[in-house]
Amino acid sequence: MLLIRHLSKTYSNGVHALNDVNLDIPRGMFGLLGPNGAGKSSLMRTLATLQEADSGSVELEAADGTSIDVLRDKDAVRRQLGYLPQDFGVYPKVSAEDLLEHFAVLKGLTARKQRREVVDGLLQQVNLWDARKRKLGTYSGGMRQRFGIAQALLGNPRLVIVDEPTAGLDPEERNRFLNLLAEIGENVAVILSTHIVEDVTDLCPTMAIMNRGQVLLTGKPNDAIAALGSQVWRKQIAKSALPGYEANHIVLSTRLVGGHPVIHVFSAQRPEEGFEPVAPDLEDVYFQRLRLQSRAAA
Amino acid sequence: MCTSSVCACNRARQRDGIAMTLEFLRFELREQLRSPLLWLMAGLFALMAFGAATSDSIQLGGSIGNVHRNAPTVIATWLGLFTLLGLLVITLFISGALLRDFELGTAELIFASPIRRRDYLLGRVLAALLASLLVYVLIAIGIFVAPFMPWIDPARLGPVSLRPYLWTFAVIVIPNLLFTGALLSLLAVLTRSILWVYIGVIAFFVLWGISGALLADIDNVWIATLSEPLGLRALSRTIRYWSAEERNNGIPALGGYLLANRALWLAVAIGLFAATFAMFRTERSGTGKARRSKINAPAIAPSHRPALVAASLRVAPSFTAATAWRQFLRQLRFDTAGILRSVPFLVMLALGIANFIPSALFQQSMFGTTIYPVTSQMLSALQGSYSFLLIIVVLFFAGELVWKERGARLNEVSDAMPVPNWVPLLAKFGALVTVILSFQAIGALASIGVQLGRGFTQIEPLLYVKTLALDSIVYVLMGGLALVLQVFTNNKFLGYALLIVVVVLQTALGLIDFTNNLYNFGSWPIAPYSDMNGYGHFLTGQLWFQGYWGLFLLASLMLAEAFWVRGVGMGWRQRGLLARQRLQGGLGAALAASVFAFAGVGGYLYWNTNIRNEFVSPQQLMDRQARYEKEFGQYRNLKQPRILASTIDVDLRPETQSMRVHGVYRVHNPYSQPIAEVHIQMQDDKALQSIELGGAQSTLHDEQLGYRIYRLDRPLQPAEQRDFTFDLDFHSTGIGGQVAQHQIVENGSFVNNRSFPSFGYDEQGQLTDRNERRKRDLGEPTRMPKLEDEAARANTYLTDDADWITFKTTVCTTPDQIALAPGYLKEEFQREGRRCFRYEMDRPMLDFYAYLSARWQVKKASYKDIPIEVYFDPRHGYNVDRMIESVQKSLAYYEANFTPYQHRQVRIIEFPGYQSFAQSFANTIPYSESIGFIADLRKPDDVDYVFYVTAHEIAHQWWAHQVIGANVQGSTMLSESLSQYSALMVMEQEYGRAQMRQFLKTQLDRYLSGRGSEAVEELPLYRVENQQYIHYRKGSLVFYRLREEIGEAALNRALKKFLEAKAYQQPPYTTSAELLGFVRAEATLEQQPLITDLFEKMAFYDNRIDEAMLTANPDGKYTVTLKLHAQKRYADGTGKETDAVMDDWIDVGVFARGSSGKERDEKVLYLQRHRINSANPTLTVQVDELPSEVGFDPYNKLIDRLSSDNRRTVTL
Repeated sequence: MLLIRHLSKTYSNGVHALNDVNLDIPRGMFGLLGPNGAGKSSLMRTLATLQEADSGSVELEAADGTSIDVLRDKDAVRRQLGYLPQDFGVYPKVSAEDLLEHFAVLKGLTARKQRREVVDGLLQQVNLWDARKRKLGTYSGGMRQRFGIAQALLGNPRLVIVDEPTAGLDPEERNRFLNLLAEIGENVAVILSTHIVEDVTDLCPTMAIMNRGQVLLTGKPNDAIAALGSQVWRKQIAKSALPGYEANHIVLSTRLVGGHPVIHVFSAQRPEEGFEPVAPDLEDVYFQRLRLQSRAAA
Repeated sequence: MCTSSVCACNRARQRDGIAMTLEFLRFELREQLRSPLLWLMAGLFALMAFGAATSDSIQLGGSIGNVHRNAPTVIATWLGLFTLLGLLVITLFISGALLRDFELGTAELIFASPIRRRDYLLGRVLAALLASLLVYVLIAIGIFVAPFMPWIDPARLGPVSLRPYLWTFAVIVIPNLLFTGALLSLLAVLTRSILWVYIGVIAFFVLWGISGALLADIDNVWIATLSEPLGLRALSRTIRYWSAEERNNGIPALGGYLLANRALWLAVAIGLFAATFAMFRTERSGTGKARRSKINAPAIAPSHRPALVAASLRVAPSFTAATAWRQFLRQLRFDTAGILRSVPFLVMLALGIANFIPSALFQQSMFGTTIYPVTSQMLSALQGSYSFLLIIVVLFFAGELVWKERGARLNEVSDAMPVPNWVPLLAKFGALVTVILSFQAIGALASIGVQLGRGFTQIEPLLYVKTLALDSIVYVLMGGLALVLQVFTNNKFLGYALLIVVVVLQTALGLIDFTNNLYNFGSWPIAPYSDMNGYGHFLTGQLWFQGYWGLFLLASLMLAEAFWVRGVGMGWRQRGLLARQRLQGGLGAALAASVFAFAGVGGYLYWNTNIRNEFVSPQQLMDRQARYEKEFGQYRNLKQPRILASTIDVDLRPETQSMRVHGVYRVHNPYSQPIAEVHIQMQDDKALQSIELGGAQSTLHDEQLGYRIYRLDRPLQPAEQRDFTFDLDFHSTGIGGQVAQHQIVENGSFVNNRSFPSFGYDEQGQLTDRNERRKRDLGEPTRMPKLEDEAARANTYLTDDADWITFKTTVCTTPDQIALAPGYLKEEFQREGRRCFRYEMDRPMLDFYAYLSARWQVKKASYKDIPIEVYFDPRHGYNVDRMIESVQKSLAYYEANFTPYQHRQVRIIEFPGYQSFAQSFANTIPYSESIGFIADLRKPDDVDYVFYVTAHEIAHQWWAHQVIGANVQGSTMLSESLSQYSALMVMEQEYGRAQMRQFLKTQLDRYLSGRGSEAVEELPLYRVENQQYIHYRKGSLVFYRLREEIGEAALNRALKKFLEAKAYQQPPYTTSAELLGFVRAEATLEQQPLITDLFEKMAFYDNRIDEAMLTANPDGKYTVTLKLHAQKRYADGTGKETDAVMDDWIDVGVFARGSSGKERDEKVLYLQRHRINSANPTLTVQVDELPSEVGFDPYNKLIDRLSSDNRRTVTL
């Protein structure tokens, strides 16, 4: 559906935001995982025609099977695109219905009757129908994000890009939001960028892990977890011993359990006495890739 | 910042109140002093003050002529004005100090600690006030150093002293700072919103302006001076009548208006501070009492919920050619609605309306009399008091619009939408235009409402549309430019800053003599509007220049389009690349086309204004005047031929604004020497096509100055007569750089013979401004010849080309117009399809005539056998009957008391309001449409100035057209002061004495304030050098008092004898001294010193009632005992005063209140003239009824600088 080849971008301050990124993004939900500053937003903005790349190519498969050069033919991309940026604001004094209607026209839905139907339908789908007359300034964070997804879905996009949508949402709102995304993902390509591992685990059949502008891993989450096999070990240790473990082992994560650190360590064999094997999850995969990258860099 | 602020209060926690307050003060002051904004704004204002104080173009507080640039009153006025402007800055400090914690969310941290509200507030407010004071100190420094700049003429500086600064800070600046600080604090505390504080400031500005209208009515002085919180009006009122001498040396005493004003507003300031402390709340906003709970209540949406049709969501848009257009309209609607609903817009609208309605309701032209709300006048009120706010609206909202999406963090969403690049910018520009038009339309509706409300139904909707559309162009240009700058700079504040630079340049360029409209953005020759002539031919130039700047804007918008930021993280390099890309298509072609069109129109205009016509800047014009004087001044006394008869054939073409003239001057040589050289002066040199002097060689022709010298083949021998003939062709060539000429217009031409050839050097063409002369080494200005200069009596003060001439003329115009000139109509005929009129004057007249042509309605009447005709615009018939009545009554009075009227007809002719005066030619009186024709005389209390002005102009048929003064000092007293006196007498007969006093008070006020701005030297009336405040204003007062003293009969007898002796005389012409001879002959010996005082000196009185006691007598009568103060002083030419001996006859009056309680119908119980010859006389008067008021010179017949203390109420 979307083919990204050798995409690179360096900012004027020297930051290598994208470094030879290659990705194949199929229909359905695609998770893009990475820490803050990994280059996720740069990638998303490039795909959303908001930022120029230095080199590389991106191709989007259109409905009729032809392909669109995303970096050149921006207008064609925009007609296929739904985008919910990371830092998304609203006009506080405008009602949800009015703003959505406004965006619908900008999306090209110029026929009045048709537009009304789409707007009403989307407001229901994102469960904002009852609050549609309220000023957006009075919306909670979750409602605002749902409004954001409603505008992204205007005009039946084939490519939906959602950048860090669940940050700051309470668990219930987050669930509601992810369910909404899952519904859409059945028909179109949805790229979901996040630094929350569970979002990807729960939703995405395919994913990629990014850091420092590079793609560290791409594929199905289950395959990646399986590849980690039985190489993840766990141990509860004393707080004072932590620096020692960090120096000698690949510590994937540290978590406090009952006030004492529990560490996950990546190792082919049991590192030492007291470590017990654990079934790895996506988080372990994620940290393993990050640790490997930083080791390679060091 | 927030953390240290918390630290500050934590540290302060343990200390007591004062220390805590000081801690807050210290902390806040440090914050303020660290802020670059303070220094930036202070620097800016100091620069403004410095610039204004060093510039000749901006003058305040009477800093002209004889008043020093650093005179104490000038300093006080400057600093005072800056306390008004400074409001814009101190708002930042005050609201910053009081609102910062709430905005940054640190308020909860601070108020959670055990501090006292009072200490916090006091510390913060004091710090803000100190910071503001610092700004004013910097401003004062700017003003202080300005006079030391090398380009300042040291002759215009007085001694350097700090005293005026200290005085101004103590009396004006600090009290104003306290008041404005208190007002702003209260606003900040009540609204907790900087926006609302600023809105409050704007409201203050507008209210300040409105209350100024009150001062126009002289009876409201106390209200007007007290109601103005900054004391500026009280100050200007206090120094209003000061002479140059006083202005240079005196500091106003803290008393009267000033003291009362200062005391009142300091008290108000204290009250406001108290309210601030009482109202200050530390809770978070929104958690106080639920005053605004309505806003937060969620709107419950209707429960009807359409069935969800999943398929409908899958609707894919279709993109056609119309899609982009629909998107554009949608964006335009959305952005427009956003502005129209926004608070700043609604506030500006409300302020505009609040400002407009009073100024529309009380539009006045003269003497406080209102005018009819005709549409053109309403529109000019609308433009001046309402539409100008649009400049703020467009500049502000241009920034808001460009940053709207980014401000709401919606830009990434909207930028990724499938919208063509051109849509957003164009839609935003369209939104600005729509906002401008909506604002104007609302103004028009309000204006129509006012018209209807005043019962006026001749509304001209089309004129509203036309004028407001033309008026909107400048706002569209400024708004468009603001958009462009915002796009280019891609930084809101930089964009605003550049905009301010542009606005400053627009004014500054003109001040430094760069006046060409071709490089001053948004400037053009402004077409004046007249009801008679509409916009006429003036519009062509304006529209061309507007088109020129419109194309400039178009090109700029397209370039901005190319640089329009879409997406994020765009540096200049990237924007440049992108712009190049975008310009490759149609946009680039359109840009190129508009740049070409702009250059093309610019080239065409340059060809028109600078090549086909001559472009002369103001400085260049003055340089020419200087050259004129230097090169040709040597000929000022050259003997030239004198005109005996003029026979002029005029072919006027109003439809093309052109005129051809064929003229014959019959001249003679009245001197004993032959005249060998004839010097011809033309105002417009290229109009003179040919001139035939009976054989002559041209020896000099200065085209620039319009000066030609011819050597006659046969010198004109003494007593020889000869005909000089000339042909003139006046026409415009294309578009001029300045506003086109207004003499020959489509409907309402008015041309006089000053544009015809005249003889010899003309002193009127010299540069008169002292400073400009000094810059050009011209020495002191040429003054009028002294009264004693016998040689100068060879000419009248009007011309040296002729004495009395025989006049015949033919004038042709378009068939639907009437053409008029002095003389009697001998014949009306057709010539080549033109309508022609032949006029002949049957007796000698002054060499001063005019031609008028328009489509008039004519109203005829007569006085005895003298026909009276008024030619007026059919829409302006309101006061025509009044004019006729005035002509009849004037003729009656003048014929009875002076001499017979010399003509057999009187004509009053309306001309367009490009100039506002009435002027008397022989039997012909052009009268501007702007004075009198639309005066609303329905209120009986208003001064009927239509009657008055008409009487004045009729009087000129005697005073100027029968007897005319020589070209020496005092000559305008003979024509203007005597016309004023004559009109006063007619007016008094018509309206009685009550209206006289109102009129004389206006004259006194204008005389006294006119003195303060005298540029050269004030002179006694009989030596007046064409100074209007003397010959009109003082002249009225002097002759009225003379009439009171020697009696109307005696004075009129003197005038009649003077007329009989001097009318139509040949040189040497008469003088004011000769008139005084006739007056003195009719006066008693005892009255001679008074005549000396009135005419030959400048005497001022300080008369008042110090005490008045009333006792009831047993016989039912009353005794009033008056303790008076009387003083007389003489002033010299600059206002320096010396004591004079008081020995005058002055009215003493006792009055009872009439039914209305007003002076109009008061009952005079006692009115006698008393001889006053001591400084503090005591008088006792018996009256029959209970008096309410006593007066010493109660009718203000004397020139008393404080006329309000001449009356006093008395009670038992």
